Formats: sequence, structure tokens, C-alpha cells
Amino acid sequence: MAAAMKFAKSHEWARPEDDGSVTVGISSYAVEALTDLVFMQLPEVGRRVKAGESLGEIESVKAVSDVYAPVSGEVVAVNTALPGSLETLGRDPYGAGWMVRLRPDDLAEMAALLDQPAYEAIVKSQPH
Amino acid sequence: MALHVWWDEPADGPCNMAADELLAAEALERGTICMRIYGWHPATVSLGGFQRGADARAEPSIAGVPLVRRPSGGGAIVHGSDLTYAAAVPKTHPWGGRPQLLYDALHEAMRRVLGGFGVEATLWRPSGPPASLVSGEAFFCFDRRSSGDLVMLGQKSADGRGHKVMGSAQRRLAATVLQHGSLLLRRNSDVPPAASHPGLDDLAEGGFSAALIRPLVAAWIAAVAAPLGIEVVEESGRFKDEDVVRGKSHEFASDRWTWRR
Repeated sequence: MAAAMKFAKSHEWARPEDDGSVTVGISSYAVEALTDLVFMQLPEVGRRVKAGESLGEIESVKAVSDVYAPVSGEVVAVNTALPGSLETLGRDPYGAGWMVRLRPDDLAEMAALLDQPAYEAIVKSQPH
Repeated sequence: MALHVWWDEPADGPCNMAADELLAAEALERGTICMRIYGWHPATVSLGGFQRGADARAEPSIAGVPLVRRPSGGGAIVHGSDLTYAAAVPKTHPWGGRPQLLYDALHEAMRRVLGGFGVEATLWRPSGPPASLVSGEAFFCFDRRSSGDLVMLGQKSADGRGHKVMGSAQRRLAATVLQHGSLLLRRNSDVPPAASHPGLDDLAEGGFSAALIRPLVAAWIAAVAAPLGIEVVEESGRFKDEDVVRGKSHEFASDRWTWRR
């Protein structure tokens, strides 16, 4: 069974999968905060990223935001359907709204991320 | 804690974008809102972060005008007859959360200050989904409308939505928010009508004297700081040493960045 989902302070989620990969997306809070998403650019399979590096970009009506890699690794899969159906992010951010799968260099980096209660505490403290 | 503001000399597009990115770092370091007020030389078109280069190339009204891509979103702006600002706040700042917070804070402050100068403007609010979600967006920022845009309703526009005189867009970085914005002062006579939009001087009754611009902006900055309960510190000299900015400007001057999409 897959381990629990964890979160970055920059609002990405990361979920270890049974095959050793890590699925990445953005939280429902981030989707709601950005509002009216209009464009998304995701990386290509094979790209290597370090934790904290930009994985892609999302444009809403007012803002361009980076999506950061929660862990270091290689992009092994990309949800290519997502940029064409951004409404999926609002409907199912933790399921069909996944963005990329990474093959992590070191799964131990997950320990630096936040568990759900800690992330929710950060969200509650955000300016509204 | 204070609002730090720099009034910079006009610069070219890549240098202005580089300085703004440095401003975001400055805001994070100081832990407060930092602003830069500046102009452009030469007159330049700034393209939104995700706009297509092909669309810019296909727009005849801006042929031959230097072009730079902003890191922030939104539509293209023909700079040269506007007043441009950059504002940066840490994401932990009261206006660093949702994009609309900083957008509305700065636009509402300008709306109130313009009222004091006898210019009536309104924060535009949509009655339906954004055009970009329905049928695509206009190329130019001042042909678009998004929630919080500052519009003058008194003068009839062709589309009945009023004339937009101030628009802004953001780049949300890991720990900071950088907001770019433009207040249109007058029509830009250097470009054809399709790329030229009426500004304060064209729309305000009796015009808007160039001599009022500095006091207007100073009052605006004070109005931005007021609800935060902080003082304004007008920094002397340019924001950053020219060599530092020039050194960082190369990434914004590169074809890789400009034509990335």
C-alpha cells in the first residue's frame, strides 16, 4: 500500500507509489487560491530536477506561478491530458489532477516534507 | 517596518525585468513590501509570461518596437506613455496570499487617490467567467478585463466596459510575490491606434497634467502603506547598481527567454 501523501510549503503534494515513484501535484488550497487557471506548462519525461527547482508553471488570469519539485529525481511520467483540461485540477487535485511522476534520487527527502496536519496548519495561517 | 520605494530612471526592457526580479529578493530579505517606480527607454512592448511569441510577431501595430517578456502573467503592454511599477511582498505578508489581495490593495489605493485628483475610476468586477476561459484573451493588457482592473466608466468605450487605465499581473515565486502594473497616462502616439489606448490625460475631464504625476504616485504609495500601518521610506539613488542589473539582464534579453513560447 502506498505511503501517506506529504506536502511542500509551496503547496505541492507528493505521494510515494508502490513502484518506487513519487506522484506530484498541487494542493486544493493552491488551486483555489490561484483561481481561474488558464494555462499550464509541464516538463518533459527524462528531465532531472532537484528538490525546490521549478518543475513547471501555471498561469491564472492574474498570475504565473511555479510548481516546485518536492524531491529530487527524474521525471518518468507527465499527465499530458492536464493542460488541456485544467478544470480537472479543481475537481480532483489529488487524483486525476496529478502533474508528474518522479523517480526519486533519495526517497528519504520525503522526510523533509510536511504531513497533512502540519500542512493544514500552514494553510490556516495563510493571509485570506 | 516600512514600505521601501525607489524611483528609477527609465531603462530598457531586460534591465527593468532584471531589476524587478532583484526587487523580489529585496522584499524577502527585508521582510516587507518593496516598490520600484520606473519608465522605459526605448519604448518597449512587454509580453505576458505565457503569451505566444507568434502572436506578437503577427501583431502589425507593434512591428519594430523592442520586445521583452515579463515573468508575470497577463497581456502585452506598449510602454512609453504609462507609469510602470513593480511591487514585491514575501508570501507571509498580509497581501502575499491569494493573488487578488495584492492586486486589489494597490488598485484600490490608486482608485482612492485618483478620486482626490478629481478622477473617477472603479475596480472592475466580472459578471461571468473570464474571457480566457470562454473564448481566448485579447493580445493587449488594456483590451482585457479581470477582477480589480481600474476602469473609467464615465467615458464611453466601444465595448461598453469602460476604459481600463490600470492593470497588473503577478509572478508568484517560491517565497515572494512580484507584481507588475501599469497606469496609462496618455495615448501612445508612437504606435498605431490598435496598440494605443487612452490614458488619464485623454479621459479625465480637463486632462491630467504631467506635473501631477509625481504627486499622484507619491500619494498612491502613501495610500498603499496606510492600511498596513507602516511608514514610507523613499530610497535615494537607483534601486541597484547599473552593473548588477545589466549583468542580470542577459537572461531577459536572450532569445531563449523572449521566444520561449
